Amino acid sequence: MTNKGTSFYERLEARGVSRRDFLKFCGATATMLGLSSSAAPMIGAKIAGAADEGGLYPALWLHGGACTGCTESIAQATYPNVADIVLDFLNLVGQETIQMSAGVQTLEGNEEFAEEHAGKYILIIEGTVITGLDGNMLRVGGHPFIEELENFASKAAVVIALGSCAVDGGWVVAYPNPAKGTGVGPYLKSKGVATPVVNLPGCPMNPEELVSVVVEALLLADRDSDGVPVLGPIVNRLDANGRPKWLYGSTIHDNCPRRGHFENGEFVYEFGSDEEAMGYCLYPVGCKGPQTYRRCPMIRWNSSVSWCVDSGGPCIGCANWNWVDQNAPFRGRFRRVGAGVLGSGGVDPAIAAAAIGGIAGAALIAHGFGMKAAKRIGSNATLKTEECKEWETKHAKKGGAA
Amino acid sequence: MAHKPVKEAHPLTFILTHWINLLAMFFLVLSGFYIHFPFIPGLMGLARGTHFFWMFVLLFNLLFRIIASFFVRTTNMPGTREQDLDYKNWGLQGANTHQLWPTVKYYLFLKKDYPISAKYASLQKIAYLATIPLTLAAAYTGFALWGPTSQIPFFQAGTRWWASLFNWGGGGALMPMRILHYWIMWAFLIFTAVHAYLANIYNFAPSKMIFAGIEEPDALIGH
Repeated sequence: MTNKGTSFYERLEARGVSRRDFLKFCGATATMLGLSSSAAPMIGAKIAGAADEGGLYPALWLHGGACTGCTESIAQATYPNVADIVLDFLNLVGQETIQMSAGVQTLEGNEEFAEEHAGKYILIIEGTVITGLDGNMLRVGGHPFIEELENFASKAAVVIALGSCAVDGGWVVAYPNPAKGTGVGPYLKSKGVATPVVNLPGCPMNPEELVSVVVEALLLADRDSDGVPVLGPIVNRLDANGRPKWLYGSTIHDNCPRRGHFENGEFVYEFGSDEEAMGYCLYPVGCKGPQTYRRCPMIRWNSSVSWCVDSGGPCIGCANWNWVDQNAPFRGRFRRVGAGVLGSGGVDPAIAAAAIGGIAGAALIAHGFGMKAAKRIGSNATLKTEECKEWETKHAKKGGAA
Repeated sequence: MAHKPVKEAHPLTFILTHWINLLAMFFLVLSGFYIHFPFIPGLMGLARGTHFFWMFVLLFNLLFRIIASFFVRTTNMPGTREQDLDYKNWGLQGANTHQLWPTVKYYLFLKKDYPISAKYASLQKIAYLATIPLTLAAAYTGFALWGPTSQIPFFQAGTRWWASLFNWGGGGALMPMRILHYWIMWAFLIFTAVHAYLANIYNFAPSKMIFAGIEEPDALIGH
């Protein structure tokens, strides 16, 4: 799908996006990338230039065990809307939710694409890698999805694991993980596929996050002789967990608009209280902002209208690894530990620790009574045995006996 | 083995380091409980400041205590005023050999007399020495959670490893680290309870000595 012949701005106009709107979007993107908003024209020029030259990223978008929430989330993007992304940023041949073809036709088309652009295309994966029943829990065109994934990933230049499910399995892998789900990165590693994986955790992912990766690539990438961007600079800017540093370098808590209330000790202890009405910090009601790396307070959601904490909900830490197990109960300070990890299946670590501490304390008290009963302490204690006296005399040569 | 606690056992240097340890642990535990759950409003900034300050104090005190043990002289045996360089009390000593099991038996009422041992008995020495890695573990897990240091690769690697044990695939979720940090505090609380109990079970002479340097003329303790 190429767009040669019509200028980028003409195509934007056709979708009701003015040049001014587009530059506003570029300004927002610049802020997200940690650049000054004066970089907006440069970003605009890069995007328009790439689009007009036809030197777009060839890309393929596949779904694993997905709820399609990430695709839905993309559809909420400010500018560009979903069509803009599909048509103008990425030369996207396949997106299983919105494409016409299905099953065998899809596989054949994708295969043809992968051969044509081998080693040069971006593979975007949305959804969990389902390995249950040897991968047969999820089949496309008569083949397990895991075969499809391995095939297309091994031919791609880079894989973008889009959303928590693709990163590590997301909520699908919450205990007891009946589908034996896993993430794209761990799965490809286990199969020896060396294609780099960019992790964009979050449930769902925020369209601005994907856009920022693409724009970052446009700004940084050199182009090879075919005009295809070289993605090395993007891959080199990932953190130890394979996430773009500029998106996951700080916690929700670091940038939270309620942070001042946290430092002042102004907390919501109960929903429906006056404190909640005053917009106080949600920490005691289980906010996972302090342990969740993401930029929600800055990017925000749904065309930057609001986000979880702004709308009064504690962060549930959806960008964490295995985030449901890690963060449930969502209104508690700790996850539970023990037999099960969800709901009533486990024990609160604080209660477990207090119980062990209580047992230790009780044991000491009981021991004290034992010491008394054994006449080791108290008025009738018999401490000094003859043996001890002998030993003390022997060892009291220098400095004198005590 | 019954003996009298003598002031030469704990010279002023170690009375001070013991006080600093106690104060640091008190403030760290109190502020730590508050940070875990702010049971009354209004003090979070104070609690966090207190927590960070006393952790650094505790770490420097530990370092000082270890260095000082090579220069400060303390008694080398129970029941004597004879002194030697303190670090010698912390290694494996002849007087400790074959004493671990008899010590355990004594506390389980399976043996009548406390075994003759060095200044610190086998169990005591193990427990005291264990506070060193425990303090370092508390510091490490704390730095792994603290915003300014959590992204340093040395701490991030630990977060990833620890999370991977409970959460296949790793990824560096902070929750397991948070729980570990909390449990280390409880390990300190239990240590402190046992320590205070065993030190003072016979009488409070050992406390008077370690806190104030006062020697009770007639006090005898059973171990």
